[in-house]
Amino acid sequence: MSLRVQAEADLAVTLEASTDFGEPFTLTDPSDFASATQLYGAVGDIGQVLDPDTGQAVSARHATLTARIATLTAAGYTTLPEGKADAGVKPWRVDFAGVSTASQRYKVVQSFPDRTLGVVTMILAFWNAAAP
Amino acid sequence: MPTVLTALIDKQDNFEVVRDQIAVLINTNQAAQVILAAAEPDPNLWKLRVFTERAQPWEQFLNEPGKALVSQDLSPIVNVWYENGTFPESMGDTVKRQAHTATYNIDVYGLGIAQDDGATGQIPGDLTAVQNATRGIRFVRNILMAAENTYLQLRNKDGAALGPGVYQRWVQSITSFQPDLASESAHSVIGIRLALRVTFNEYSPQVDESNALETVHVDIHRASDGMLLTDAEYDLT
Repeated sequence: MSLRVQAEADLAVTLEASTDFGEPFTLTDPSDFASATQLYGAVGDIGQVLDPDTGQAVSARHATLTARIATLTAAGYTTLPEGKADAGVKPWRVDFAGVSTASQRYKVVQSFPDRTLGVVTMILAFWNAAAP
Repeated sequence: MPTVLTALIDKQDNFEVVRDQIAVLINTNQAAQVILAAAEPDPNLWKLRVFTERAQPWEQFLNEPGKALVSQDLSPIVNVWYENGTFPESMGDTVKRQAHTATYNIDVYGLGIAQDDGATGQIPGDLTAVQNATRGIRFVRNILMAAENTYLQLRNKDGAALGPGVYQRWVQSITSFQPDLASESAHSVIGIRLALRVTFNEYSPQVDESNALETVHVDIHRASDGMLLTDAEYDLT
């Protein structure tokens, strides 16, 4: 077994183990398919500042999710998550809770698949599931 | 020993008066517009939150304790601030009065959150942010360039030689800034700037400007976060 394959196999512990860094999340694709089994990955939602170029910053948040590609494939997702710019389709959606906060809904705006190691990192934006 | 001023400088210069007046005009008119829009599906689309001379980061889009993100007040933020001014030598004298041509920046911040469209698609947050910011700038420009505000309601009282005597207000430019792509934020925020050039009088401190202005009486209050609150009555009958 190559080191790369070994590293990918280790993701079950280093990325997905719920007793370590693995946090539960839900991933819904544009066709509203969501895995029936609970998924685990590395989630993040931290404060940051935006610079709208007016000379005055805006406080904002930066949210990410990193998941194991093999797990997503095994769960039934036929493609990797990606940002959907088309307003005519639903985006990929993600739900996860902070350590001490209620669950938050996000949409995937950008994804960075790392096919060398076998993970995909998603940049998330807030998603309001309620229709206008 | 040089001669010193014997009177306390306890007045506002007119560039401050004009700045506050711009904010008051925007604030009172946005409130009036919300009332006028009562029959519209969402009158709050006409709402603006007005501030002056703010320089610290905006937290209004982020933290409203006890409220879920989607139920927060997401109406555009307006910040009125003085950028610079020049004093043309041909428009004044060295003793009493100098014309002041000032540029005020009126920055509008629009927030967008991606949303389900209720059918098969989505309303992208980046698009909503631009729409909110441009709507805010649209209201600001129309309010300031309305006939009622030709002189920002700061003309001198009839026959009075003194007072701010606003000669002219003119939209110098509207600039839409690039979105901050590097931050990869969970919010979409767009800033648009309207630069308003205003020409008015400034006076040397020995000049008594009292009773020189057309009566303009507006109570200005500020919320705990600095947002402008003005008392105004609207007769819409």
